[in-house]
Amino acid sequence: MIVGALLLGGLYLFPIWNITLEAPQYPEPIGMDIFINKFQGMNPNDIKNINIMNHYVGMKDIPEQIPEFEIFPLVTAGMIILGVLTGFIGKKNLYLVWFGLMVTFGTIAMYDFYLWEYDYGHDLKETAAIKFTDSDGEPMAYQPPLIGNKTILNFRALSWPRTGAYLMFLGMALSVLAYFQNKKEASNSSQQAQKAKEDDEEQYSHNVA
Amino acid sequence: MQIRNQIICCICAVTMLFIVGSCSQQGQTGALNSSLADRSYVAPGEHDEFYAFISGGYSGQLSIYGLPSGRLFRVVPVFSVDAEKGYGFNEETKPLLNTSFGSIPWDDSHHPDLSQTNGKVDGRWCFINGNNTPRIARISLSSFETEEIIEIPNSAGNHSSAFVTENTEYVVAGTRFAVPVPQRDMPIEEYKGNFKGALSFIKVDQETGRMNLEFQVMMPGFNFDLAHPGRKKSHGWMFFSTYNTEEASTLLEVNASQNDKDFIAAINWKKAEELIANGQFETIKTEYAHNVYEESTHMATSTMKKEVKVLDPAKYPGLVYFLPTPKSPHGCDVDPSGEYIIGSGKLAASMTAHSFTKMLDAIENKKFDGDAYGIPVINYEDVVSGVVQQAGLGPLHTEFDNDGNAYTTFFISSEVVKWKVGTWEVLDRAPTYYSVGHLMIPGGNSQEPFGKYLVAMNKITKDRYLPTGPELAHSAQLYDISGDKMELILDFPTIGEPHYAAGCPADLIKPNQTKIYELEKNNHPYAAKSDKEARIERNGNEVHVYMTMIRSHFTPDNLEGIKVGDKVYFHVTNLEQDYDVPHGISIIGANTSELLIMPGQTETFIWEPKKEGVWPFYCTDFCSALHQEMQGYIRVSGRNSNTPLKWSLDGD
Amino acid sequence: MKILIQPSLALLVLGFLISCGSSPQTEQAATNLAESHPKGQASVKDDVSDANILQVAIGSEAHSTLVAAVQAAEIEHVLVNAGPLTVFAPTNGAFDLLPEGTVEDLLKPENKQALATILTRHAAPGSFNVEALKREANKGRKIYMATGDYLEVVVDGEDIMVGGAKVVGTIQTSNGIINVVDKVILPE
Repeated sequence: MIVGALLLGGLYLFPIWNITLEAPQYPEPIGMDIFINKFQGMNPNDIKNINIMNHYVGMKDIPEQIPEFEIFPLVTAGMIILGVLTGFIGKKNLYLVWFGLMVTFGTIAMYDFYLWEYDYGHDLKETAAIKFTDSDGEPMAYQPPLIGNKTILNFRALSWPRTGAYLMFLGMALSVLAYFQNKKEASNSSQQAQKAKEDDEEQYSHNVA
Repeated sequence: MQIRNQIICCICAVTMLFIVGSCSQQGQTGALNSSLADRSYVAPGEHDEFYAFISGGYSGQLSIYGLPSGRLFRVVPVFSVDAEKGYGFNEETKPLLNTSFGSIPWDDSHHPDLSQTNGKVDGRWCFINGNNTPRIARISLSSFETEEIIEIPNSAGNHSSAFVTENTEYVVAGTRFAVPVPQRDMPIEEYKGNFKGALSFIKVDQETGRMNLEFQVMMPGFNFDLAHPGRKKSHGWMFFSTYNTEEASTLLEVNASQNDKDFIAAINWKKAEELIANGQFETIKTEYAHNVYEESTHMATSTMKKEVKVLDPAKYPGLVYFLPTPKSPHGCDVDPSGEYIIGSGKLAASMTAHSFTKMLDAIENKKFDGDAYGIPVINYEDVVSGVVQQAGLGPLHTEFDNDGNAYTTFFISSEVVKWKVGTWEVLDRAPTYYSVGHLMIPGGNSQEPFGKYLVAMNKITKDRYLPTGPELAHSAQLYDISGDKMELILDFPTIGEPHYAAGCPADLIKPNQTKIYELEKNNHPYAAKSDKEARIERNGNEVHVYMTMIRSHFTPDNLEGIKVGDKVYFHVTNLEQDYDVPHGISIIGANTSELLIMPGQTETFIWEPKKEGVWPFYCTDFCSALHQEMQGYIRVSGRNSNTPLKWSLDGD
Repeated sequence: MKILIQPSLALLVLGFLISCGSSPQTEQAATNLAESHPKGQASVKDDVSDANILQVAIGSEAHSTLVAAVQAAEIEHVLVNAGPLTVFAPTNGAFDLLPEGTVEDLLKPENKQALATILTRHAAPGSFNVEALKREANKGRKIYMATGDYLEVVVDGEDIMVGGAKVVGTIQTSNGIINVVDKVILPE
């Protein structure tokens, strides 16, 4: 359980998400890694070049700073501390609570990401040089997919989780695994109540695992 | 039963694979089983296997081709101005063309050679000589820009240049014309015995590539034609071919063809280094320009140098020896082993191969046949190792493959002849269309040639292409030399007059390409690295415009307060940081070329408005979908008007 | 079993066909390439420029033997080269002076190289008109021929002798000079 919680630390080091744009004129695709505290181009000038391309259709520049970059690191830190504490306490139901919290925050984050993408793809400047419309005659939206691949004009936009997210998923999986392991141990221990003390030690070792 | 069937099937299939495999392997070695077109075909989007650096001759430039496709990728401006690229027109590159004679917009570029490490081509730099006003240029193979040009003093007709030694210790530059040194007013007929032939050794800094004229060997007044470095065992020596050892100054076609034999001069440059280190040299006054383009400032500077160290070979035994070589040798080419020096007497019917081992032995045992101006002449018989008999008419230049074969061009009989080094027997001959000058095998001037293709550079084109009036492109021809027989697989037109070429595998160069110039590292004193830095400054009638460009606008794009009689410097920075997004700029009535500015780069042009009015400027490179909108206006007011300086973009 | 083996063998045969299938096509391409310019530069069609040495010789009835010899030796392209070249061109009469059967012998394909050498010995790099020949004679200089031999020039009154043959006429062409001579110049 503790290891699971500590895996969240990877979020500080690795990008959580990535959006890549492929197009014939970019033999090396351009793209952006999303960290919990920043946006970073896959190559040094990618964000600048995405902004240059997007300004023609009226899309806003990708901001350097958003409020989420303040909040996410704090929430993550909180969850790590909470997870580690849970591990030490060793109550199996607390593991589930932690997992539940992660799912909740994750969903909120994904929803936030969706809102931002929606805004980014729909809120276009009135003065845009190029205005496309979709088949219904509505202004075309350039929203990248939440997850998956999508073709936008001559670009193929790919939106997928990255190392940070996978580490987080692994951490969450570990917390569930710890819950079931713990439950099994617990049922064993009820049959052998006289060895409760040793069980506690064993349980501790499982927690560490 | 079933199993046995399967086994038979397998055996058949495997056998078939072998057959197909063996045949396609033959194809690679040049057998006649793939179509000729296939062998020079590079599919759309695919890359060529080799770079070819082909001199532009009287265009003064260096052209870059791919082999085997023969496609032209770029013409690098070197010695001649190039309005297309702003080279020699913008303020940054003007100093590159400075000489002790002032700025010169043209030269005749002849012999490109590639830098080497341990005798192998290393893909760092290309050197090329300017023949008319003697100069050597260095071109970066990361940026494919001319980074440095050094003038060669005491020299005239810088022809036996720009050949590099095994570790690029030196680039050599030998004079074609003998001239008075120092230059002075004297009767031409007193040439003999008085004119000199300077052979220059230019040291190359291994980190930066910076060149320095280290010393000159002041030879008798012969004409020096071509040169090649010793390699492996002969490393430390440089060989120069000579003609006009008669020292004639008139009707050379007759008077310089009298001696049965001219010389190949063998210079021991390691010995020269010792002499220089020991202070055994003369310093003579002279004047020559040294021009360096600095990538971080995007700007060239020109410095005038005042003296040069000179070695007199008559004074220092062991520095120079002459190897007698029949009939005005043109090429003097050293085989990959460094043992043989091949002299191609351009009027001779045969070719002479000197042996380096025999040369050392002759020197040791003083097997000399007198001397010329105090320089020992080695006995012909004691240095010649073999003769390629009656191979053709008018041999010019020899290159080598990696299998011990040599390939020589014959101008008069219009052919390339393949022969065996060591046995001197002719193995194959292929006609050229027409009258071939030089030839090139990638890595052919190194220890390790890549003997797959041979490019023949022809002097005469006639009917090879669709006609274009009296003036025709010179023609190059590509031969597949991977098999026993040379096979012509492609004709392609070239720029100017290719005199010589160098080539190497593309993999040596591709990974080191400059794609953009980083804005953060742009140290141009007049750079505006963001729109916020864009501005106009006036200093008397000198006006400096700090302008930026990015898809798809200039900042500023409305300028006011310029007056007739002003000298307006447009310092324009391309803010793009994206590969292959250059922008250009020019303004109506500008008496100069456009600027073509690469991402992250700053360039400057001067505009001196002569008429009041509102004058437009625009982007000259189709940069983006809104390229046509990338434009602006400058208001020019009268000489004595009070229009204030004002600049804006979108009213801000 | 038979049914199974046969397709395998067919596959094998197919393998042979595929692997060598491209060669006839290539041979054809190679032939076309050679046929496009059998004589190199000599086959360039150009009836506007001044005539070159080869064209002048072809147009001269007195040099039909020489032209036949040049064609047999396949050295036409040398005579259309940028030059400048000087050709000492023996007339048909000069060839007739050779021992009987010599010319016929030399025209045989197996003697192509020998014939080429003999003819090349009649060509010198450079421009040598009558004045130039006299100048060389006066300065005691020999003429270097394309084979590497030297020919002596002797002025005897009005006559100019080169390598023992008398110059009986001089024609300026676009790529050099033809000096018509009355003898075939053979190695000494």
